[in-house]
Amino acid sequence: MTKAIHFLPDEKNHEATRLLPYVMAVMVYLSALALMGSMMLHKGFGDWTESLSNRLTVQVTTADQETRETEVRKVMQLLRNTPGIEHVRKLNEVEIEQLLEPWLGAGNVTSDLPVPDILDVTVSRAVDINLDALNAQISKISGNIHLDDHQQWLGRFLRLMDMVEYTALGILLLVVMATICMVIFGTKAGMAENRETIAIMHHLGAQDSMVARAYQNRFMIYGLKGGVIGLLLAFVTLISLIYLSRDLASGLVKVPELPTVEVGILLVVPIIAAAISMLTARITVMRDLRRMV
Amino acid sequence: MIHFDNIGMRYGMGSEVLKDIAFNLKPGSLHFLTGPSGAGKTSLLKLMYLAQRPSRGKITMFNEDVTAAKREDLPKLRRRIGVVFQDFRLLDHLTAVENVALPLRISGGKGAEIEEHVEELLTWVGLKGRMKSRPPTLSGGEKQRVAIARAVIKRPDILLADEPTGNVDPAIAKRIMHLFVELNKLGTTTVIATHDMSLVEEIGADRLHLQEGRLHMIRAGENTPKLKEEKFDSLAFDSGKLDQKEFGPKVISGDDMS
Ligand SMILES: Nc1ncnc2c1ncn2[C@@H]1O[C@H](COP(=O)(O)OP(=O)(O)OP(=O)(O)O)[C@@H](O)[C@H]1O
Ligand SMILES: [Mg+2]
Repeated sequence: MTKAIHFLPDEKNHEATRLLPYVMAVMVYLSALALMGSMMLHKGFGDWTESLSNRLTVQVTTADQETRETEVRKVMQLLRNTPGIEHVRKLNEVEIEQLLEPWLGAGNVTSDLPVPDILDVTVSRAVDINLDALNAQISKISGNIHLDDHQQWLGRFLRLMDMVEYTALGILLLVVMATICMVIFGTKAGMAENRETIAIMHHLGAQDSMVARAYQNRFMIYGLKGGVIGLLLAFVTLISLIYLSRDLASGLVKVPELPTVEVGILLVVPIIAAAISMLTARITVMRDLRRMV
Repeated sequence: MIHFDNIGMRYGMGSEVLKDIAFNLKPGSLHFLTGPSGAGKTSLLKLMYLAQRPSRGKITMFNEDVTAAKREDLPKLRRRIGVVFQDFRLLDHLTAVENVALPLRISGGKGAEIEEHVEELLTWVGLKGRMKSRPPTLSGGEKQRVAIARAVIKRPDILLADEPTGNVDPAIAKRIMHLFVELNKLGTTTVIATHDMSLVEEIGADRLHLQEGRLHMIRAGENTPKLKEEKFDSLAFDSGKLDQKEFGPKVISGDDMS
């Protein structure tokens, strides 16, 4: 690619496209947020549901302390003897307290509060456990023992997350389309403003690609400028959100963190914006020039 | 070099502004293009600088049928043609130097040599002090000289000048004509549209004379025929007679020009 010939008026005199970098910044801001949101949900909740998917929770709610301890021992025995179950662990009081704290407030969980015993069960991924059979055996021990495999809840949760993700991708797509339309308008307005200049360039023997190069370079810079501004704003927003949500963080809901790989992907967004802007401008100019004499 | 074969031209749906134009200009020749205002001089030049296609007939330039040239082939041809437009058509946001340098830049020239070459030429046409000025701040005559410098900077194979001395005083007009003549001696086929009969007579080249869209060939030294009453059939060219009616290059001595 040879160097572009300087023949268009300075950018600051360019009424038609002067504001374009700012609109571009908004577009990049929106798409970066949509992308980030989608990636964080995917990664953050993905990890979380992953950690739940090979877990079972068993609650023993019998009121009488002694009976309950016997039942707990029996059910632990049963679980340990079930093929496919790797690990069974009874949560201690501190852990249960931590689970309840978000609802009851710190210090309000007292020893006289009736709390169930909770068993945390890790299941091997390799083996499919017959949950119905297990359930039947458990209910033989006591009617106060409940097995929860989280599946029903997880299923609903995952559907919701999918929906959120598709929405984010939809937004991204719409923003890209709007950006392309905007660049087309901008290019056409810029060309209309410089109609005579372009005609003169043609008379002096400039090819369409020379004219296009001037525009595509200019619009690439617009895309890059807007992209960097938009991305910075998106990062500021994101960091504020993470900061605010830290205060709310509890043992129950993990705050999704922004993983480095995804941050890396976001850094590419301004470059993509520049590329879209540049290509759109080039195609628009080349097509419009072909219609001129 | 430039061969018109039975050309007719109209703008849009209008009537023909050029009718049955046929001539052949030999490489290295110099011709004036005369005729009253509205006769079609600019229109004829537009055909030559490939800004307009004829509505009928065939134009051959550089041994190529330019009426059939594809859009992609036009830039290559246009780079061999220098044009002084009647309305200058300078880029208002570029300086005089940048304007004149454009043809060199477009054909891939680089930086410093261009600048030097351009400044030399601008100095020669008397614009030493106005190098960095933009056209809106130049007088009509100054703009005209920038336009002329842009047209000749590449020493084109064909030079087409539309009223190149319309806005300058007689001394500068002479100087500009001298430039064209020198360029012509170096081989540039030249056509100059003008109303200035004193310059035509001084240089004494053959004339393409347009009258109501028709072309009449006038040899150097002959007077403009009286119009309306006289017939010009003997002067008008039709394609069949072209071979005998070629005009050889006119050698002009530059002695009497300062
Ligand atoms: N773009 C155009 N559209 C329609 N008609 C045009 C156009 N340009 C010129 N004409 C008409 O064509 C005819 C020839 O015009 P042209 O400009 O070639 O004359 P000219 O000989 O150059 O005149 P002048 O000496 O005033 O420059 C005129 O009648 C003019 O009105
Ligand atoms: Mg004219």
